Amino acid sequence: MIALVLSLVLAQGYAPLRQGQDPLDSVREQRVQAVGKKLRCAVCQGVSIADSPASMARAQLDKVRELVAEGKNDQEIFDYFVERYGEWALMEPKKSGITLGLWLAPVLVLVLGVLLIISSTKKPAAPVAAATEEPADDYLAKVRADLEK
Amino acid sequence: MKRVVAVTAALSIIGFIIYVMAAGFGTDPHEVPFMMKNKPAPNFIIKRLDKEGQINLADYKGKPVVLNFWATWCQPCKVEQPVLDWAAQTYGDKAVFIGIVFEDTEQNTRSFLQQNGAVYAQVFDPRSTVAVDYAVSGVPETYFINRQGIIVKKYIYPFQSPAQFTEQIQEILE
Repeated sequence: MIALVLSLVLAQGYAPLRQGQDPLDSVREQRVQAVGKKLRCAVCQGVSIADSPASMARAQLDKVRELVAEGKNDQEIFDYFVERYGEWALMEPKKSGITLGLWLAPVLVLVLGVLLIISSTKKPAAPVAAATEEPADDYLAKVRADLEK
Repeated sequence: MKRVVAVTAALSIIGFIIYVMAAGFGTDPHEVPFMMKNKPAPNFIIKRLDKEGQINLADYKGKPVVLNFWATWCQPCKVEQPVLDWAAQTYGDKAVFIGIVFEDTEQNTRSFLQQNGAVYAQVFDPRSTVAVDYAVSGVPETYFINRQGIIVKKYIYPFQSPAQFTEQIQEILE
């Protein structure tokens, strides 16, 4: 099985390079590139579709171009990709749901640590016996009574 | 009372952090999620390469469809080709088989098909726009679409045996 997988991986070829579509006018093309920087290439993992030379990234950028040309706003374009690839498609995931939890977790750990430190330093000291307390010893009480006479 | 509140708060925070970590680390960051499951298959009208004419996916509504994305430079695609040919011959009367070549050139594809023949319909996606619509993230990938035109599943590995394919196609034949 390992041999088969290795042979498939090593024998895997490469897609022929191809040009993307012609750029739009400069203002809209700037938007295409800006949106493309925020979308992740489907076949090259941690690289945006604007930065990747992969053919599939060209295809995804062409899709952004097509959607911009149709008059879609940035959010609608992000929604198109999120609908297909999930939030995985976003280079910077939205700060909501589990992702928000991941952002908040270090802060919560810090808060918990501070609370622990405060609670351990604020422990009340053990009560010290009062120096003036009367001894419960009968003999001493008798001596004191004799002295007072 | 204060102590109970503090312990409850601390346990809540720890529980929340464990939950978030489990959810975050329990997923493979390199795995592209399959979001097209149970969504309508995006329509396409594209040129056939095995013969003249075009294929319009909408024409096949009411029939199960097997959509295989492949490319001539992809070795695993060549490994699975005999299985897909067998599948098209075996299940061709119950389902429609379409091969979509993407990330490739038309010339490469035509010469490949001339040499190897085509048992089922082959179309060419020149700018990989159909592949992007289907959220393809590698090659080969096979999508199974039911009679209602809904994507039921996708298979992201090359088929290595008829049994493997038979297991996958059952759901759309029901």
